[in-house]
Amino acid sequence: MAKFILRRLFHAVIVVFVISLLIFFSIRLTGDPVAVMFAAGEPSQQAIDNLTAELGLDQPIWVQYGIFLRDLITFDLGTSFRTGQSVSSMVAATIGPTTLLAAAGMAVAILIAFPVGIVSAVKRGTVLDFGGRMFSLIGISFPNFWLGIMLILIFAVMLGWFPASGYGTPQHFVLPAITLGLILSGILSRLVRSSMLEVLNQQYIATAHSKGLRSWVVIFRHGLRNALIPTVTFMGVQFGGLLAGTVIIEQVFSWPGLGRMIIDAINARDYPVVQGGVIVLALITVAVNLLVDLSYSILNPRIKAGGSDS
Amino acid sequence: MSEKHTPLWRLLALGMAGTLALSACGNGDDGGNGSADGGEDIDEAEAEVDGRDNDLVIGVPLDVQDWDPIATFALAWSTQATSVFEGLVHRDLDLELQPGLAEDWEYHDDTTLEFQLREGVEFHNGEPFNADAVAYTFDRLLGEEGAQGPQQENYTAIEEVEVVDDYTVIFHLNTPDPVLLTNLSGYGGVIVPPEYMEEHGPEHFSENPVGTGPFEVTEYSRDNQTVLERNENYWDEDRIPELDTVTFRIIPEASTRLAELQTGGIDVMKEVEISQIGTVEDHDLLELDEVETPTVRALRFDVDREPVDDPRVREAINYAIDRNALIDDLRDGYGVPVASFQSELSFGFNPDLEPYPYDPDRARELIEEAGVEGEELDLYVPGDDGNAQEAVQAIAYFLEDVGLSVNIESAEQNTLNTELVPAGDAGHIHWFGWGGWTLDFHNTAWLLYSEGEFYNPSFADDQVQELLDAQRESVSEEEREEIFHELTEVLQELNPDAPLYADVYLYAINERVQNWQSPHDDRLQLEDVTVD
Repeated sequence: MAKFILRRLFHAVIVVFVISLLIFFSIRLTGDPVAVMFAAGEPSQQAIDNLTAELGLDQPIWVQYGIFLRDLITFDLGTSFRTGQSVSSMVAATIGPTTLLAAAGMAVAILIAFPVGIVSAVKRGTVLDFGGRMFSLIGISFPNFWLGIMLILIFAVMLGWFPASGYGTPQHFVLPAITLGLILSGILSRLVRSSMLEVLNQQYIATAHSKGLRSWVVIFRHGLRNALIPTVTFMGVQFGGLLAGTVIIEQVFSWPGLGRMIIDAINARDYPVVQGGVIVLALITVAVNLLVDLSYSILNPRIKAGGSDS
Repeated sequence: MSEKHTPLWRLLALGMAGTLALSACGNGDDGGNGSADGGEDIDEAEAEVDGRDNDLVIGVPLDVQDWDPIATFALAWSTQATSVFEGLVHRDLDLELQPGLAEDWEYHDDTTLEFQLREGVEFHNGEPFNADAVAYTFDRLLGEEGAQGPQQENYTAIEEVEVVDDYTVIFHLNTPDPVLLTNLSGYGGVIVPPEYMEEHGPEHFSENPVGTGPFEVTEYSRDNQTVLERNENYWDEDRIPELDTVTFRIIPEASTRLAELQTGGIDVMKEVEISQIGTVEDHDLLELDEVETPTVRALRFDVDREPVDDPRVREAINYAIDRNALIDDLRDGYGVPVASFQSELSFGFNPDLEPYPYDPDRARELIEEAGVEGEELDLYVPGDDGNAQEAVQAIAYFLEDVGLSVNIESAEQNTLNTELVPAGDAGHIHWFGWGGWTLDFHNTAWLLYSEGEFYNPSFADDQVQELLDAQRESVSEEEREEIFHELTEVLQELNPDAPLYADVYLYAINERVQNWQSPHDDRLQLEDVTVD
């Protein structure tokens, strides 16, 4: 187990290194931050040169990358070009809202997708199954931007049940979490349904039934538990997608999160903020996937973490 | 036109409500049931305001980002910061210059300007305002710290600020600067507290600003909100704010801003979109307020490129565009046709100069004369600006109508303005919006028409350059106005661009808000505002 975790941590380092390389060079393709900063004035060449030097942009690009990596190893994400704030503190202020939102979205997805998927599978071919599959089709087809605006119109403007936007109270979570979760629940309920169907066709389920166990016991204890493994894997992979989805949700619901910070920073060519934000998002995704792998052994004791090569 | 929008919109939304509620019924989610049976019970929330007393909440699309006055040029900065900081000069809502932290000033000669400072003024932290604070502010702005920000360049005429006594300073200039007083009313010219800045440093200041203004910042949360409280010690007793607090909420998405206004989450919405006008007008408790701005939208030509290097082609394009149609059909009438790259708010505006009339026949003649029928022009537009996208579609139609062919290219706004345009890589024509906050034609004209300037890769004309230089060296208002009038006439002959219209900005306001006055220049001034 410890060996497995160590190996995965080593993988994580490689992932972060590759991402640092990608983000460092790709953000530099978007344009010159000095030009953007001086966009409204009439700067002299001297002023442009001064600022370029101050930001360290006059150094050869490999030197800049070296400095960036060196600082990264000491968890120093640098200083924002635009605000002069340390990127670490900017990330610290926004990471909470974003991960909470992603977690809430995941919770909504699970709460919707599992009942729908299980009922669809158990009542296969019935009206309920049809309804469940329709739901998942609708969920997959929604653009989340549009869905967010619709939910605001209906539940905030017309019904007045929830605040339209902002961050702070539990009520503020409802609409953004549903927007984020509903779409994922469409895909997730499909997966739950097909995994359940596969498991329910296994012989041991028939055996359990024949032993006279009550059907809901069979479905939950024997069926669902085994169907969870592919589903949890999928959720781990989707968590990255969910984080990406928060970028748009944060915009629509004016949620003070990491995604909005990164988008603003891209527009302002604020390299350090983009780099720092993306790397932290990558770290979260890697960490979640590690947790998912570790959870297998809990879900099914026969699977040992890292046991695949033993 | 706008009245048709609402029923369709509501129908769509109700349809959605039904769909959602149905899907919710099918899966046991309790988030959306209860209204499946009918739209009749659904009523618009009444924009009622809960839990707010003598407080005002304003929804704005963009955040300040960095409160440090030397580090910004964003209009979004001055929207909030005008309540917090003050300069020696104050520009009021009618755009007139008034005494600010200076009671009086006098030019000894073109390059020596003396200010009498106001006595008994304190910063929000209790630090006294005096000549040392003024000297410190400008030393900082013009020194190394200022060199790292975009503001220094607006104040390079200042050679030195001499402290004569506690409440007298003399600005020694290295060259006459006609726009200096205006520049002293905002941005880099606002006065910062020396002790506080030295003790805490600029990084702290950028999130915890301290000024002398009528409101002080008590909470700032980036990209989320700012809370201002009334400054009880404000020096001008007539302008001590009526409100207890003002909260700026950052809500980037226009439809969300409007939803917050409709539900009473905010009292004032900045930047109402054209498509939202109907909703605001139909709402009993909301009012729409329009205000003219200095921002002008125009097509600019790369005069190095064929065929727009031919003045006849540029003139033809000016005749070919129906400016009134752009304004009436695309902007619901909110816009003012312009003849030069400035609105009538700008010093230098020429009231006698008429915009080009819509004359497609004349345009066809000129195109034929130049022998360029059917030639394809690349027209660059910011892809993230919906208004511009709409406008260039119409413009492409107008140009094709007179025998030209148009190829529309989109580029992200910052990329277009700071990379492609300066490099001369923005096609034959590009969309450009500009509004100098100084409201003096100098800022715009210099940047766009002076040879070799950042935004001007190709246009050069001796007469234009002479006029630009002449107005820059004069501090006589009369003389400068005359020069600008001549300049606008010369530019209309040369057609380096096709000015289209000046923006009208729209604010939507809950009727509980009294004495609201929308600013021309984004600088909200909230001292007189009250709420019911």
